[in-house]
Amino acid sequence: MSSRAEGLEERLKRALRRLKWEMDPFSWSQLFVVLAAFAAFMLIPLGMVIVRSFYTSGGFTLDSLKLVLTDDYYFPLRIHLTSDFPFISLEGVRGSLYHVVEYTRPTGEVVKILYITGWDFGVLVNSLVVATSTAILSTVLGFTLAFIFAKYKFPGAEALRIISLIPLLSTPFVGAIGLKRMIVADGVLNVLFHDILRVIPFKVEITGLPAVIMVQTLIFYPIVLLNAYTALISLDPSLEEQAINMGASGFRLFRTITLPLATPGVEAGALLVFILALEDLGTPIVFKGTVAEKVLTFQIFNRIFTPAGLISQEATTLALILLVISAVVFVAVRRYVSLRRYAMLGKGGIWRPRRRRLSNKTVVLVYVFVFAVLFFATLPHIGVTLLAFSKEWGTTILPESYTLNNFKAVLADEQARRSIVNSLVYSGIATVFMVILGVSAAYLVSRKKGVPGIEALDLLVTLPIAVPGIAVATGLFLTYLGTPLSPTISGAPLLIASYTVRKIPFTVRSVFSGLEQTDKALDEVAWTVGASRTRTFFTIILPLIALNVLAGGMLSFIYSMSEVSTGIVVGDANHRDAPMTWKMYDMLFHGLAGGLAQPAAMGFMLMGLQFVFIVGANLLLRKRATALIGV
Amino acid sequence: MVKIRTVDLTKRFGEVVAVDHVSLEIQHGEFFTLLGPSGCGKTTFLRCIAGLELPDEGKVYFDDQDVTEVPPHKRDTGMVFQNYALWPHMSVFDNIAYGLKIRGYKKEEIRKRVLEVLKLVKLEGMENRTPHQLSGGQQQRVALARAIVINPKVLLFDEPLSNLDAKLRIEMRAELKRLQRELGITTLYVTHDQEEAMSISDRIAVMNQGRVMQIGTPQEIYKHPKNEFVARFIGQGTFLYGEVVARDGERLKVRLEAIEKDVLAVPAHPEANPDVGDRVLVMIRPESFELTPETRDSNEFEVEVYHVSFLGNSLRVQAKAGDEPFVIEVDPDEEVPVGKPIKVYVPPELTLAIRL
Repeated sequence: MSSRAEGLEERLKRALRRLKWEMDPFSWSQLFVVLAAFAAFMLIPLGMVIVRSFYTSGGFTLDSLKLVLTDDYYFPLRIHLTSDFPFISLEGVRGSLYHVVEYTRPTGEVVKILYITGWDFGVLVNSLVVATSTAILSTVLGFTLAFIFAKYKFPGAEALRIISLIPLLSTPFVGAIGLKRMIVADGVLNVLFHDILRVIPFKVEITGLPAVIMVQTLIFYPIVLLNAYTALISLDPSLEEQAINMGASGFRLFRTITLPLATPGVEAGALLVFILALEDLGTPIVFKGTVAEKVLTFQIFNRIFTPAGLISQEATTLALILLVISAVVFVAVRRYVSLRRYAMLGKGGIWRPRRRRLSNKTVVLVYVFVFAVLFFATLPHIGVTLLAFSKEWGTTILPESYTLNNFKAVLADEQARRSIVNSLVYSGIATVFMVILGVSAAYLVSRKKGVPGIEALDLLVTLPIAVPGIAVATGLFLTYLGTPLSPTISGAPLLIASYTVRKIPFTVRSVFSGLEQTDKALDEVAWTVGASRTRTFFTIILPLIALNVLAGGMLSFIYSMSEVSTGIVVGDANHRDAPMTWKMYDMLFHGLAGGLAQPAAMGFMLMGLQFVFIVGANLLLRKRATALIGV
Repeated sequence: MVKIRTVDLTKRFGEVVAVDHVSLEIQHGEFFTLLGPSGCGKTTFLRCIAGLELPDEGKVYFDDQDVTEVPPHKRDTGMVFQNYALWPHMSVFDNIAYGLKIRGYKKEEIRKRVLEVLKLVKLEGMENRTPHQLSGGQQQRVALARAIVINPKVLLFDEPLSNLDAKLRIEMRAELKRLQRELGITTLYVTHDQEEAMSISDRIAVMNQGRVMQIGTPQEIYKHPKNEFVARFIGQGTFLYGEVVARDGERLKVRLEAIEKDVLAVPAHPEANPDVGDRVLVMIRPESFELTPETRDSNEFEVEVYHVSFLGNSLRVQAKAGDEPFVIEVDPDEEVPVGKPIKVYVPPELTLAIRL
C-alpha cells in the first residue's frame, strides 16, 4: 500500500473517530430527519426536473431544450452584424415602450391615454429583464432611502424609516391586486393627477412587464433598504473621520469610503431581490392577459399539465432554466456575503453613527423624496384595503361607499371558507415540521462544527431561499404524481411538504442566531455535571432559545400562508384541498361579479395576519435581545 | 477522589498544536495548577480532562480507567468556567440542583444538599434569586456551588477569578483553597496569573506553546527554575548571560557576557546542570541582593540606580550595570540615592545558573 493511501486511511479513521465523538444517537436522528425531508421533498424533486428535461419515455432527448431556446415565443431575438453603425442589429423585439390612444368621451371631451406596455423580448429574456430591472430599481430606491436615514438627522426620520419597511409585510401577489386598481386608466392615480389635479396632460396606464417591475420594486426595495441601512450604521465612524481628516469630503468621501464599505450588504440585498423577482409568480398572474404573462414562472404554471394530465416536458425544461439562473445568483450571494465581511471589521464596541443635521432647504427636498417614495410604496396596501371594504368604486379617488359585504361574501363561499381552513391547517402542520427540522438543523450547524462536512447541511437548509417555488412545485409533481402522495388524491401532503422545505430558512435563521448568542459554555457545564447531550438539549438549550424558536416558527407560518407557487399549482389539480392563495387566484379570473373586491378581501385578511405575525416576531426577538444583556 | 494521569496528550487545531505531548500526574486530593501565558494550551488541556475536547493523540486516565473517549457527562467532574456559565433561565437553586436531579436524588435530599452547599459558599438565602440579580462574586460562588454539590471526583477551574476585581480575587483565592482542602477533591486549576498560582497550588505545571516547561511546588518553581522560560515567567529577576568557565562540585564559575566579570553560581535545577563550556543564563531574584559597603571577592556589582519605588514591606530599586537592567529589593528603611552608583552583593548559593 502506498503511503498516500495510508494517509487517506489515516484521515478517514480520524474523521470517523471525530464523528463518533461529536454525534450521539440523538444528533444522528436529528441529522437523519433533516436530510430525509430535504431529499424527499427538495433534492429528489429538483433532480427529477433535471432528468425529465432530457429524458422522455423515448430516451434521452434535447428536443425540449432546443424548442425552448429557439422557439420565437421563448427566444425570438436574433442578432445580425450590419455594415452600418452600430454594426449590430437586434431583431425579434416586439412592441414598444409606450403608445398613446385617444378617444372622445360622450361629453365630447377628448381623452388621451399613455399606455406604458414595455417591449417583449420573449419569455427567457423577459424574465431576466424583469428581475434585473427590479433589482436595479430596488437597489437605487432602497440604498438612497437607507443613506438618508443612516446619515442625516431630520424630524420624523425614525418614524419614516419604519413606515418605509411596510412593504415587507405583504407579498407581491396581494400587493399586485391593490396596485392594479391604482394604475389602470380609470385608476386612482389618473383620477388624482389627471382628472382632479390636472398635473399630467394624459392618463397613464402601466401594464405588462413595467407593471410587474413596478409592483415588485415597491414590494422588494425594503430588502435592500434593510441590508444597506444595517451596513451603513454599523460602519465605524472613525473610518470616515479618518478620510475627512485626510482631506476627502462630499462625493469623494462617499465614492471612495462609504460606498465601498457598504457594498457587500447592498449587493447581497440586490441579489436576493433578483432571485425573488425572478421566481415571483403572483404578480404576473394578477396582470394575466398582458405581456406580463410572458415570463418563465407564469409559463411554467400555465403549461405544467399536458391535456392528458401529465407534466409537460416543456414546462419542466423552463423550470430547469429558472433553477439554473437562481442557482448561479445564489452562489454569487454566498460568495459575496462570506468573502466580503470586511465592512464589519472594526474594534467592536458601540458607537454613535455619524449623522448630519440638514439645512431647512435640504430637509424639504428630503421630505419630498421620502414622501413620494412612501406614497407609491404604500399604494398597494392602501389599494387592497380600500378594495376590500369598497361597495362601489368607479372613477373616484376613494370608494363611493364602504361595506363589509366583501368579507361576508368570502365567508359565505364554501370553497373560500375551506381554502382558509386548509391554509391554516397546512401551514400549522408545516410549522410543526419546520420547527422540528429547523431547530435540529440549526443546532447541528451551530453546535457540531467539528463534524466533517457539517457546512453542507448549512448550505442545504438555506438553499430554499434560492430555489424558485414553481420549480419545486414542478419537481414535486414529477416525483409524486401517481403515488399515494399524489395531489389528485389529497392536496395536503405535497402542500405541507412544500411549505416545510421552502419556508424553513426563516426558522433556521432565527434559531441559529439564538444559538450563536447562547454561550456554548452553558451546554458544556451541563455535560460536566452529568447531563447527557440529549438532556442538555431539552433542559438547557431549548428553554434558552425558546423565543427564537417561536419567532422563527411564526415567520415560517405566515410565509407558508402566503405561499403562491405550489399553492396555485396544487389547487388547480385539486380544488377541494386548495389553499387561500389559489382561491384568490380563482376569484380573480373565474369569479363572479365581485371583480377585484373579493380577492382583495381575502388579500386583506392575509395581509392583516402577516402584519400581526411579523411585528409580533420582531417584538419577541427584540425583547429577548435586551433580556440577554446583563446575564 | 481520583488520580489524574495523562500520557502524551496532544490536541491540534488545524496547524496549531495547542497541547503537545503532555504527560503528567495529578495526585489524589492535590490542588494542581496549569500556569502559562494566554494561548499556551492550558485551557485546551483542561478541556481534554473534562471531556469537552477529543485529544488527537495520547490518553487520559482517571485512576486506572482510560477516559480519553468517555463523554463529559460520564466523567463525574465539576467545572467552573471563566464566565461562570450560569443558566439564565433558572434560579440559583435550580442551577445548583440540576446535577443532583440528574443523579436521581429525592426532592428532600436535593433541597438539603443545595442549602448546605449554599451555606458552604456563603450564599444563604440567595436560592430564589436569578443569576442576573447577583454580583460577579456571587455568580462565581454559585458556579462553584454547582460544581461541588455533586461531589465530583475531579474539580476543574478555568480561570475562575479573572473576571473579578483585584480585592475580591484575593479573597476568593483563600476561599477556594479552604474549600478544596475541606472537600479533599482532586483539583485542576488553570490560570495565567502567577501570583494566584503560587498562593493557591500544591503543585504547578508551567506551560508554554503546548508543552510543560516544569512541574513543581511553588517554592521549587520559584527557587529552582528549570529553564529560561520558567525563570523569566515566574516572579522577577535580574538576568545575565554567560559561559561556565570552571566548576567545583556544585559551585560554578560563570564569565558574564555583557559585564566583564566572573561570578560564582549554583545550578538552578538539578536537571539544568551546566558543564564547563556551556552557555548559561544567570538569574538573581530581587530579594537575593544585599547592599554592601565593603568590597567582596566575588559576586559584587556596581550598579547605577535610576528608579526607586517604595512597596511598603520593601524598597524596589531599578538599576543598571552597563546596559544590563537589575531589579533589586532591599529593606524599606535603607536609603538608596537615585542617579548614584551603589554596590550590591549576591551570595553564590542564590546566584542561579540555567543551562541554555
